[in-house]
Amino acid sequence: MSQETSGQPGVLFQLEAVTKTYGAIRALDDLSVTVPPGAVGLLGPNGSGKTTLIRTLLGLIPVDSGSGQILGMDFRRRQLDIRREIGFAPEDECLFPRTDGVGFVAYAGELVGMSSKSAMQRAHEVLDYVGLGEARYRKVESYSTGMKQRLKLASTIVHDPKLLILDEPTNGMDPAGREEILHLAHDLAHNKGINLLFSSHLLPDVEAVCDYIVVLGAGKLLTQGYIQQLKQVHNRCFEVRLKSDGSLFAQRLAEFGYSTQCHEDLLLVQIPEGGSQQVIWRTAAEQNLQIRYLRPQRSTLEQVFLNALEHG
Amino acid sequence: MPIFDQGYQHWSGRLSGHAWRWLAVTRHGVRAGLKNRFLRYLILAAWVPAIALVLVLCFWGLIERRSSLVSTLIQFLSFLQPGIITSPRDFRIDIWRLSYSYFLRSELWFSMIVIFLLGPGLISQDLRFNALPLYFSRPLRRIDYFLGKLGVIVAFLAMIMIVPSIVAYILGLAFSLDITIIRDTFGILLASIEYGLIVSLSAGLLMLALSALSRNSRYVALLWAAVWIVGGVVSLVLQSVDSEQRRYAYYSKITPPPVMARSDSPSRQERAAQMRAWRRARERANTEYRLGELEFSKRDWRPLVSYMADLSRIGQQLLATNETWEKLSRFEPDPQSRDRMLANYMGPEFPWYWSAAALIGLFGLSACILNRSVKSLDRLK
Repeated sequence: MSQETSGQPGVLFQLEAVTKTYGAIRALDDLSVTVPPGAVGLLGPNGSGKTTLIRTLLGLIPVDSGSGQILGMDFRRRQLDIRREIGFAPEDECLFPRTDGVGFVAYAGELVGMSSKSAMQRAHEVLDYVGLGEARYRKVESYSTGMKQRLKLASTIVHDPKLLILDEPTNGMDPAGREEILHLAHDLAHNKGINLLFSSHLLPDVEAVCDYIVVLGAGKLLTQGYIQQLKQVHNRCFEVRLKSDGSLFAQRLAEFGYSTQCHEDLLLVQIPEGGSQQVIWRTAAEQNLQIRYLRPQRSTLEQVFLNALEHG
Repeated sequence: MPIFDQGYQHWSGRLSGHAWRWLAVTRHGVRAGLKNRFLRYLILAAWVPAIALVLVLCFWGLIERRSSLVSTLIQFLSFLQPGIITSPRDFRIDIWRLSYSYFLRSELWFSMIVIFLLGPGLISQDLRFNALPLYFSRPLRRIDYFLGKLGVIVAFLAMIMIVPSIVAYILGLAFSLDITIIRDTFGILLASIEYGLIVSLSAGLLMLALSALSRNSRYVALLWAAVWIVGGVVSLVLQSVDSEQRRYAYYSKITPPPVMARSDSPSRQERAAQMRAWRRARERANTEYRLGELEFSKRDWRPLVSYMADLSRIGQQLLATNETWEKLSRFEPDPQSRDRMLANYMGPEFPWYWSAAALIGLFGLSACILNRSVKSLDRLK
C-alpha cells in the first residue's frame, strides 16, 4: 500500500489542466499545480475555488477535464482509496448525534475501515492528544465550539492519515481555542510527519502553521511557494527603531531624499537610487540618537497575498 | 491533563476493504438502538410469540412420536378433528404453516412498533446535526450509507422475525426426531425468512425515506404512525362502508316471524318452530354473507390502502395459509360448518401481486425520496 500511494517523491498532489464548471461558473479554470509535501496553506478570496479544489482532491466531484494525482493516486479513479489516506475536517459544525466523545472518534475510525477494538483504543489516544481526555464520556452535543473543533480534528487523525485537510478550522473560535488548534495543526505537520493542507482566509493562522502556500483566484493559480521565499527581502527599504523620538531624524533623512514612514514603533526608510544604508547611521550619529534595531524590510504574507490577487 | 500523556503516536494497523464499510454504520446504529430501554423491553416482549411457536412445534413433534410426555395433554386437543390427532404426521405441514403464520402475523405488529421507536432518528438526526459531510468525506459511498442505515432496521427485525423462526425450526426438528421433517417443512422456513426480509426491506426503506424528510424525529414518528395506523383505519373504513351495504342486502331478505295479536298467535310449538327456522335462515344467511365476502375479497382493492394488509397478504401467500385452511375445512363433517370455518379463518384473497405491486411502488418512491433528500458532499453546501 505504501508503495502504491507514495507517488512521486517530493510531490503531495499534482493537478494538470483541471477544469470544473458549475453551469456558467468556472470553479477551477485549467488549473495546474504541483505541491510539495509538508504544511501547505490554501489561500484565496471567497469563490476562488478553494473548496472545489479540496473536493476534487477528495474525489468527491467529477471534473470536466484534466488529470491529477494525490498521494500518488489518480483522483478520478481511486476516490475511496484517497479518502482512506486523508483526514478531512469540514468547515461547518457537524456531529455524529447521540454519541459521547470517544464513541464519536471511534466511529469515525470504523468508517475508515478500522476494527472496532483498534478504533476505540486509538480514539482514547487521540482524544488525550487533542486535550479532550477529560471530556471523552460527555455527549458531544454538550461540547463547546472549541471542543467540537478539537473533536473533529481527533476524528480526522484517528486512522493516522498521510494527509490532513483542515477547512477553516479556526472559524468562530475564541483566541485561546484558536491557539490550541493552531498549535495542534503545527505539531502534527512539523513534528508528527503528517502532510497538512490548511485552508483559511486568516493569514496569520496560515503563517503560524504552514511553510508553503498556494493562492487561488477565480479558479486559477495566482501564486505558490514557500512563505519565506515569497516574503521577499527589500534591500532599499529598512525598518528602523530608535530609542527616542525620531521626528527630527526623519526630517533630516528627507533632506537627503530618503522617504520615511511611521509604522507602529518602527520607521520605514526608503533609500533612493544611489543612496546608502550608511546615511541612516550617520544621521543618527549626528543627532546623537541611538538605533536599537535596523534591518531590511520583508513583505508580510498579507502583502504577498494582496500582490498575488492584484497581479492575478 | 491526563496523568500519562504519550502524545501523538502513529498507527500501523490494517484498514479493511471498502465492500463491508456499510457494516460500520449498521454496527453503530445497532449499538445506539440497544441503548434504548423501551426498545430492549419491546424485543423481549416480541419473543413471547416466538416462545409460543417453539412450544407448538415441539409439542407437535412429541405428538408425532406419540411420546408419553404429551399423552395426557392430547385430551385437551378435542377441538381438532379426530383424523388430525390419529395421524398427526399427515398434518405436519399444515400445523407448521399455521403456527408460523400466526407467529409472523403477531411479529408484524411488533415490527411496526420497533420501527416506530428505532427508525425516526436514523437519518433525520444526521440531517439535524449535519453529519453527512462527516460520512461522505470518508471512504463511504451514498449506497454504503443507505445500506448501513437499512441494516440497522433489518438487524432489529431479524432479531424478532428471522432468528426466532430459525431457532423454532431447529427446536421443532430436534423434538420430532424425524429426518423427513426437513423435506416437508424446509419450504416453510424459507418462506418465513423470505417474509421477514420482505418486511424488513420494505418497512426499513420506507422508514428511511420518511426519516430523510424532516430534521425532527418526532415529525418522522408521526408520519410513520400515519402510514401504519391511519392507512389501516382508512382501509378499514372503506371496507366497512362497502361491506355494510352488502350485509344489509343479505339480511333484508330474511323476514323475521310476524308479531301477531295474542288471539291470532299460533301455538307455542308452532312459534318455536318458526323461530328455529328463522334462526337457521339467519345463520345460513350469515355464512352465505361471509362466503360472499370471501368471494368479493378476491377483487376488492380497498385493503391495498393499508400497508399492514399489503404485507400480510404477501405473508399469507408465501406460507399458503388459505390453502391450508381449505384442506383442513374438508375434514369438517357438514358443509355448513365447513363454510363457517372458511369464512372465519381464511384471509383476504385479492391477488397477492396487487400487494406486491403496491409494496414495490412504495419501495421505488422511498428510493426516490432518499436520493433527493440525502445528497452527496458534492451537492451539499
